[in-house]
Amino acid sequence: MRDFPPEISTFYSAAGRKPSAAPDTRTPAAFLRWFLKQQWPVIALSTVVGVLWQLPLTVGPLLFGKAVDHGIVVHSTSGTLFWAGMLLLVTVIGATFGIVLHTLVVRSWLINLYGTMKMVTRKVVQMGHVLPRRTPTGEVLSVASSDSDEFGALTEIIARAGSQVVAYLVVAFIVLTLSPNLGILMLLAAPVLVGAAMPLLKPLHRRQQLERGRNSELTSMATDIVAGLRILRGIGGERTFGRNYDAQSQLARQAGVSAGIWQAAIEAVGVLFSGVFIVLLVWLGTHQVIDGDLTIGQLISFLGYALFMIYPIQTFFELAQKVTRAMVSARKAIVIFEHQPPWPDLETSTPLPEDADLYDVLSGFTAHDGELTIVVSAVPEDTAALADRLGRYLPADTEPVSQELEEGLKGRAARRARAQRLAERARLAALDEELATREWGVRLGGVDLGAASLDDVRRHILVSDTGSQLFAGTLQDAIDPHGRLTRQQAEHAVRVANAEDVYDALPGGWQGLLDERGRGLSGGQRQRVVLARALAVEAPILVLVEPTSAVDAHTEARIAERVAAVRRGRTTVVSTVSPLWLHHADRVVLFEDGKATVDGTHEDLLRDSPAYRRVVARSMDAPVEEVSGHEHTHV
Amino acid sequence: MSTLMSDPLATSAETWRDRDAREPAVPPELLPPRDVSRRERLSALHRRHLLREERARATYAASRSPERGWPVADNHVVLAFFRGLLRERKSEVIWLVALNALAAGAALVVPRLLGSLVNSVQAGGPGLSGQLDRLALLIVAVVCTQALLTFLAQRISTIFGQDLLSSAREYIVSTVLRLPLGRVEGASTGDLVTRVTRDVGTMSRSVQFGLPQAIISGLTVGLSVVAMLLNSIVLAIPSLVLIAASGFQVRRYLQRAPKGYITEGSTYSRINTTLTETVEGARTVEALGLRDLRVGAGDDDIAVSAQAERYTMTLRNLLFCVIDICFNSPRVVTLLVGAWGVSRGWVSLGQITAALLYVESLSGPLDRLVGEMDRLQVGIASTSRLLGIAQVPEDRVAGSARPESPHLVGEDLRFAYREGHDVLHGVSLDLEVGERLAIVGPSGSGKSTLGRLLSGINGPRTGSVTVGGVELVALPLELLRTEVALVTQEHHVFVGTVRDNIVLAREDSSDDAVWDALSAVGSRDWVERLPRGLDTLIGSGNQALTPAQAQQIALARLIIADPHTLVLDEATSLIDPRTARTLEGSMSALLDGRTVVAIAHRLHTAHDADRIAVVIDGEVVELGSHPELVSQNGEYAALWRAWTS
Repeated sequence: MRDFPPEISTFYSAAGRKPSAAPDTRTPAAFLRWFLKQQWPVIALSTVVGVLWQLPLTVGPLLFGKAVDHGIVVHSTSGTLFWAGMLLLVTVIGATFGIVLHTLVVRSWLINLYGTMKMVTRKVVQMGHVLPRRTPTGEVLSVASSDSDEFGALTEIIARAGSQVVAYLVVAFIVLTLSPNLGILMLLAAPVLVGAAMPLLKPLHRRQQLERGRNSELTSMATDIVAGLRILRGIGGERTFGRNYDAQSQLARQAGVSAGIWQAAIEAVGVLFSGVFIVLLVWLGTHQVIDGDLTIGQLISFLGYALFMIYPIQTFFELAQKVTRAMVSARKAIVIFEHQPPWPDLETSTPLPEDADLYDVLSGFTAHDGELTIVVSAVPEDTAALADRLGRYLPADTEPVSQELEEGLKGRAARRARAQRLAERARLAALDEELATREWGVRLGGVDLGAASLDDVRRHILVSDTGSQLFAGTLQDAIDPHGRLTRQQAEHAVRVANAEDVYDALPGGWQGLLDERGRGLSGGQRQRVVLARALAVEAPILVLVEPTSAVDAHTEARIAERVAAVRRGRTTVVSTVSPLWLHHADRVVLFEDGKATVDGTHEDLLRDSPAYRRVVARSMDAPVEEVSGHEHTHV
Repeated sequence: MSTLMSDPLATSAETWRDRDAREPAVPPELLPPRDVSRRERLSALHRRHLLREERARATYAASRSPERGWPVADNHVVLAFFRGLLRERKSEVIWLVALNALAAGAALVVPRLLGSLVNSVQAGGPGLSGQLDRLALLIVAVVCTQALLTFLAQRISTIFGQDLLSSAREYIVSTVLRLPLGRVEGASTGDLVTRVTRDVGTMSRSVQFGLPQAIISGLTVGLSVVAMLLNSIVLAIPSLVLIAASGFQVRRYLQRAPKGYITEGSTYSRINTTLTETVEGARTVEALGLRDLRVGAGDDDIAVSAQAERYTMTLRNLLFCVIDICFNSPRVVTLLVGAWGVSRGWVSLGQITAALLYVESLSGPLDRLVGEMDRLQVGIASTSRLLGIAQVPEDRVAGSARPESPHLVGEDLRFAYREGHDVLHGVSLDLEVGERLAIVGPSGSGKSTLGRLLSGINGPRTGSVTVGGVELVALPLELLRTEVALVTQEHHVFVGTVRDNIVLAREDSSDDAVWDALSAVGSRDWVERLPRGLDTLIGSGNQALTPAQAQQIALARLIIADPHTLVLDEATSLIDPRTARTLEGSMSALLDGRTVVAIAHRLHTAHDADRIAVVIDGEVVELGSHPELVSQNGEYAALWRAWTS
């Protein structure tokens, strides 16, 4: 039987091993079936144990009644002791299996919870940069953080409902043997009782939904206030936004109160109905006792069963609710899990040559082997697009398809909207596949990147763009994530990127901890750590997009000089308009309207190309024109 | 360039770690041993449990005294806070207690009446049927009353809980909005976001449900005990003793569980953070071939989380062991003592029936009481983090002196983020009214810090920044904002109306003033085209703005604030040149007629300024106009040559 955390090798498995079978993502129900199938031993065992755990409730009242009839009423000590002993035994069995059941429930719940989280991580790394093109980040995360919990809850409720069915049947048998009339009344009345609260549930759910909506609005307002707190404290506006928050808080309070009153009504109705039910049962029972059809002990047994009957019925309603919620979650999960990488399965991939020129067909751009080529463009998007092509990345130019429908969409309209999203997702997937399988249009020494394996491309060409991210961990991990470098190599990379101040600022040096995404470092510090990490890889071809845009002129000058020196003899492409870089270039290429138009050395182009002068000179003596952020250098 | 006093990487050899020497995410002692006897397995489980307990305690301790970030309040501050909230609602509390006590009391009458029913039946005799009917009707009447009282009690609990909750969260947000300016500018907002989302959520649950439920369950348990004693002391005492016997284990559990749950919660946010990084950095992961590492990092987080789950699971199992026996065996004891009592004639069958019903219905509220104590303690931990926000000391005391002129002077400025590590070493700057001063220098030289001192965000350790003879940090914030402003790139658009987003500095501005500001930055046209003009809701989830429009809103805020001096810190991020071009006019409208200090990363900014200050290692090494500095042939001249060659 599986234990938590489960081993998962779906979608992706480490180095060379084949991933295991993917889940069935055709329909939400099929997905849930797939999920449950893997869990069935735990579920089955939980059901059996659940029956034993409920023993005190299912046979306890019977035993108590027997003790009354055969012990107390007839003054038989042995009778009392025997039945009391049975009752004790049942109580101990219940308590023991309660612990086993709890352990099993936690286990199955966490297997699903952790299993889903692991599957999401594996899907993300399997898809790489393609996933954010198709799906909003938040929806990927919510499958791991909230939907996973619904799958955990599902196995628990299935096992519980299973054991309740058995318990219900046992109790039904017992009460029918005790008194057919009362038994039938009880079995029929219990569902009616629980069902009586149903009409109240709908208005309650509506109000609870409203309350949840207002509360989440409230949370986003608080987040908004914190996100803009520097402005609120620096420029002002505390009163306005404090007031707005208070107003929303009061709205949420009202919604909460109105939902709470319905909840109170449901509880009161529950008290009323179950109370009247018990009285009715006891009253009928007493008459049967008078008529001699029932013993006093059996009457007491009935009293106990009347209390018990509520649970199975409640459990069945809960089952219905949780299955619905799990279906909703399954629908969200399959949208993430059904994505397939668009890259073609090459039977024979052409190995990429070493020491060759890199040529981009679309723009006519060439990076000569072993040279530092700098790309200059007035439009940063053009150079970013070039970097994507050179590294064989699909551009981030799509609008990811959200699966969240607008609020209040129901029935036909909701189905239509869902169908639209489905079509849009399929379109994106087809587009990706189209882009990924046709000739790529960038050649390394005559070999199209599309003919090589993606791994080979990643090994040859490293693109470090402006979206490059740092991960939480030690500085050593940030510079040397793979653990391949010697200390001297890491030091060298840090010095070349002029990031020594980061080392100095972090308590603990190499073991100093970076926050997630390098938060806590200034923009300039982050950029330099990213650069050091990229340099340390020593890729045959390195493409850097705006590597020093957040770095001051003094430092930029130093970095440009050192990078040029350390990359000498290896192909390097940098996109920037800073003159501090430009005069280190072996060759500068000017981009206009997405095409490489002129090339030469910085000095040549300054002299000969008016267009080049316009782009570069703009950065040299334009007036102050930016509202700019400040760099925090904190320690 | 500046010469380094010492090599910052000097300690590199000491802090570099060999990969093989690194500790695994879950220490091997926490994994169950294989192929050993049952006894060894049990003792190994015990050892693991103790180790997990230690880890939970350490996590809890760390959460109570964070190394960085915002402070955390003591437990007695939290209790005082809750006491204060309750004291303000004395009459509600009285109603809450009274109604719930009545509802619980009504509920406790029913078993007694059922018991009398049983007694009557057993006694038999003439007129029994009519007697039974009357008794049944009486019980129905009591049940109806109980239902009504339950409704009223639940209703008051809801109203009370929601009221308590809204006051608590509004108080927390108001403390956030009072945080000292210097701290807000410095600290990362991540911790604060966690507090206003997750901690407020946890606090909500305990305030909204936990507190009223604890009161209700406590009342029910208390009254049940009284009812049991009234029913039959002989039957009640053994049961109560049994239940009380669980007290020791319950206490043990309550001392440990909250730490366990807090640890568990932190492991889940860790899982979430790591996954968020992996998703957002998907391209970086792919580019650098970090797949295995990210999958490994996620699995490690989950392994750690599983350990935290195992700890609380074992804690609950230990608790259930005891309470399942202690809360359930009273039915056996009731039976035995009852039988004995009946044989001696001390108790009736009706009393036994009532006692049985009491002990059966007592375990529910008891379970709930234990559960709520748990939840309350977790809630208290969250609340202590929230109240910690209120404990950040003020960073300035406003005086009554008012500036006589817009003349800004910084004298002998020193400042340290860490004690003993000054980043500025006696900088003095005298700004002429209306001039443009550019500050250039390498990163880490202290120029951003200088900007923060000159705009009054932080007070200097020594020396002073004065405007018109008055220290900046001695001005009330409302006034400071209209004197000097630090212009940041943060063009955060708040959720609110266009007007709300602009009037920040002067919240009573007229609509005309807002329109004038919008005109000045060139936004009047597009705001007029918005569906509801100034009342249009913008910010996340509402009417979307382009980056340029968002920046114009940010500039309009400054026009409303109308400070005579602006400090621009230009840590340029990738700003779209096209946006910059459309903003050129807006920006010059803002700068026009004001004193400007520009912390320049790009040399063209310096070139255009009236004067340039070169800051290196916390000191102004060169000060003068562009031609002067170029002819001095120092740092600036060297840089300029590199830039233009």
